[in-house]
Amino acid sequence: MVEHKAQPAGLSGGFWTVTAILTALSIAAIVFWSIFPLEKYLPAAIITARQVDLLFRFMAASGSALWIFVAGYLLYFSIAFRARATDPPDAIGLQVHDNHKLEFWWTVIPALFVVLLSIVSVRIWYQVMLEPENGIVVQAIGHQFYFSFRYPQINGEVTDEMHLPRDVPVTLNLTSADVIHGFWVPAMRLKNDTVPGLVTTIKFTPIRDGRYPIICTQFCGVLHSEMDKQYLVIEEKPAFDAWFKKWQEKNAHASNALPSAGGGAVALQGGNASAGKALFAQKCSACHKVAPFSQTLVGPGLAGVLHDPSHPNLVNNQPATPQNVAGILQNGFTGSMGTMPNATANGLSRQDIANLVAFLDSLK
Amino acid sequence: MSVAAVHPGGIADHIHPEPQGFVRRYVFSLDHKIIGIQYIITAFVFFMLSGLLAEVIRTQLLNPNGGFVSSDTYNEVYSVHGSAMVWLVIIPLLTGGFGNLVFPLQIGARDVAFPWLNMLSFWIFPVSGLMLFASFLMGAPTAGWMEYPPVSLQGAAGTSMWCAAIFLVGVSSTMTGINFVVTILKMRAPGMTFTRMPLFCWGQFATAPLLMIATTALAAALAALFIEREFGVPFYDPTKGGSPVMWQHMFWFYSHPAVYIMILPAFGIISEVLPTFSRKPIFGYKLIAFSSMAIALAGFMVWAHHMFTSGLAPFLQLPFMILTFVIGVPTGIKIFSWTATLFGGKIHFSTAMLFALGFIGLFTLGGITGIFLAAIPFDLHVHGTYFIVAHLHYVLVGGSLMGVFAGMYYWFPKMSGRLLNETLGKWHFWLFFLGFNGTFIPMHWLGMLGMPREVATYDPQFAFWNRFESVASYLMAFSILLFFVNVLWSIRNGKRSGPNPWGGRTLEWQIPSPPHYYNFKHIPTVYGLPYDFAQPLPYKGLDEELTDSPPAVAAGAH
Ligand code: HEC
Ligand code: HEM
Ligand SMILES: [Cu+2]
Ligand SMILES: [Cu+2]
Repeated sequence: MVEHKAQPAGLSGGFWTVTAILTALSIAAIVFWSIFPLEKYLPAAIITARQVDLLFRFMAASGSALWIFVAGYLLYFSIAFRARATDPPDAIGLQVHDNHKLEFWWTVIPALFVVLLSIVSVRIWYQVMLEPENGIVVQAIGHQFYFSFRYPQINGEVTDEMHLPRDVPVTLNLTSADVIHGFWVPAMRLKNDTVPGLVTTIKFTPIRDGRYPIICTQFCGVLHSEMDKQYLVIEEKPAFDAWFKKWQEKNAHASNALPSAGGGAVALQGGNASAGKALFAQKCSACHKVAPFSQTLVGPGLAGVLHDPSHPNLVNNQPATPQNVAGILQNGFTGSMGTMPNATANGLSRQDIANLVAFLDSLK
Repeated sequence: MSVAAVHPGGIADHIHPEPQGFVRRYVFSLDHKIIGIQYIITAFVFFMLSGLLAEVIRTQLLNPNGGFVSSDTYNEVYSVHGSAMVWLVIIPLLTGGFGNLVFPLQIGARDVAFPWLNMLSFWIFPVSGLMLFASFLMGAPTAGWMEYPPVSLQGAAGTSMWCAAIFLVGVSSTMTGINFVVTILKMRAPGMTFTRMPLFCWGQFATAPLLMIATTALAAALAALFIEREFGVPFYDPTKGGSPVMWQHMFWFYSHPAVYIMILPAFGIISEVLPTFSRKPIFGYKLIAFSSMAIALAGFMVWAHHMFTSGLAPFLQLPFMILTFVIGVPTGIKIFSWTATLFGGKIHFSTAMLFALGFIGLFTLGGITGIFLAAIPFDLHVHGTYFIVAHLHYVLVGGSLMGVFAGMYYWFPKMSGRLLNETLGKWHFWLFFLGFNGTFIPMHWLGMLGMPREVATYDPQFAFWNRFESVASYLMAFSILLFFVNVLWSIRNGKRSGPNPWGGRTLEWQIPSPPHYYNFKHIPTVYGLPYDFAQPLPYKGLDEELTDSPPAVAAGAH
């Protein structure tokens, strides 16, 4: 083994020149991210969208600076310390193993940066989470493959666009009728999943009129790609009110379709149709409409389940009698449409079943 | 009869007779080197298949309304592409492949601790891979590599096949993990203390416990999904009392550590290639080794950063955000140490070195966007979009896969006794580098501007950049074709490499290429770190390795 002499190499003038260039480039990148007109490419429709952009600017600026230094030194060292044709074949590099001072600083500075980044992120996170709740409450429900919206004082569901008045705080409750979807409005810089069986909430205050796409961001089935065709419309209060009124009228009918409770034959002993109606709204309406059999949500419409001559048999091929409906509620059933949960899963007592059957029986 | 001797390390030092016959030598081999090569070949076959699927994806996305394949087929294609790249390509290449091939040599062992287990681990792998691809015959899974229920409960029959395949490949990983941990703990040559171990071994040592521990969570989740799909026991279906979010917890409790399974060994490869080709000790050896262990440990505590939109209680999310930021620090330390390693070096631009340098630049970018994603308010914007696709490909392709290529150019001579062609290799590198960046850089802004992931059709406003990406991806595919041509050509016609073509100082370079089946005639004794180029090699007992003398311990029947 030949003993090699390590050639001496301090920090040459070249190193400091390169450092100066990289510093200049980093400053340029920081300036770039500070003034880049993000909103020209993606408008900010709610207050906190600007905060998220600010966080992005901060991270993009510091990230670019870091990357410029790493890549810059990488390139510079590769060129400056390349082996040359004139070097003896067994020439070796500078034999340094470490440098505790350097290692100390490049641990401490990133650690301090992490503290700073945490403070910035937590502050902006607070602003996103702690938006006021004193405005309008809306529910968005994910379906395969669309979103529907429920507003207080509008019966039933709004199924095309979601309208919101400008400058009024919104509490948006999200849930799903089937699988997980993602409810994303890029212009809001905000999303949340719609999870079946779970209600999650996002809060925000619209500040900019416009028509913004609502996009599903969780794979939800074969037509997932099509779930980008609905819009959030933010508009002045009067325009919103007009829209609201239109849907109230349009859906007034939807509510009238729910027949008033009471009366009708009591199929199972002690069944109470009005208690059944309340239960239905609570436990069944995510999957069933009170509408003819053909109007399916997840399961079929149930308006005529016991009294529709064109629907003599239930989905399990048994005759449509109160007893057999009770059987389906008790045991559940999986058929061509999907799964009807059983009584345990739906949380139904015997009395609940009796009440529900009474309610279904009251629908003509 | 085996003739056993006990060397100073206290390990029975016996040599098994070289197996005779093709089947015992190359098919059901117990030799860690052959098994490593088997892993590498198999994984590259799967790499070709899932690479083809990737090009189907990009071809579909040439047009906003798709049209190359149906939506359903498209969903199957990207789901199998992602699953196969993770479980059949990157993980097997980096652990079963390079792990098996290299680290027993580097610690001066004759084999891994449990050769039979090793053979079993390997043979499960192609079987599960075939099962995964066979799922196309019965309707492949469509819900991506994450297969979130409830939608995965609705998936075609192939989804159950997917569960079984991934479960099996997980069993194989777990066994590999056990094997590697025991081997490193018990079978290091005398004098090979932990602080003298090459950094590639440290990479494997940090990875193996992740394979062992994290994979069990995945196995449980998969078993439950399989049982629910096939027998209706409701683990995940909320209408029957199950919890879909539970899957996400279990999946990410595995899959976040799994991203470190996919990067720590690549860190190890880079840490070997850099000193060899800059003729310098690695800078900050201890800090690099220590930070791998820190990353592996902390990797278990950040999984919910994938679930900021899943409806977790808001205050539960904060610690996950901050811990994820914290992981950036040891990662940064490594990047700085590698860069500093170049300072004052005598840098030789072999293809392996080019890939290592490319790795540092691209992985750093992916790590930085990872930090972006950990910041909850920003993640609430880009989760589930192409920004994620950009991040994960920067770390997995710019990082892990570049590491694999660096390893291939570096250790191919050790496997075959021949060099890969360097000219073709450089074409491979540069075209790959261009094609890769062209394919994945635009995804950052596409995601931020509103393009969701896992879609077969998209808003026409994104058409330009998608076409750009698709064309760049063809360039990347072409460069990989060059790599395959290079391997196939060089295996017969490559320049003979001799034992140590790169002037490497770790133990594997001190023995013939390819090594004898027993690796070392005498188990060497180790006196120091391998990376001191100014010092003589820190090994004793290697004098006869390159001579014709027979091994010290006679071979005998076991
Ligand atoms: C998770 C969704 C879901 C919920 C919640 C649900 N159902 Fe169903 N239901 C279904 C599906 C799906 C079917 C059809 C099954 C098939 O044939 O594939 C069904 C079928 C039925 C039927 C048989 C209809 C027929 O025409 O034969 C009745 C009756 C019924 N459900 C009542 C109820 C009642 C009452 C509730 C509330 C306690 C309820 N369901 C809650 C999904 C649901
Ligand atoms: C500094 C290091 C890293 C940080 C801070 C980081 C952070 C993150 C975060 C927060 C996400 C979730 C984003 C979301 O879905 O909303 C994510 C996704 C991902 N990361 Fe990283 N990451 C890092 C390194 C890596 C590495 C090394 C790999 C693999 C080699 C990796 C692979 C992935 C993958 C595959 C995903 C996407 C998972 C999916 O949704 O399909 N990351 N990363
Ligand atoms: Cu969707
Ligand atoms: Cu993660």
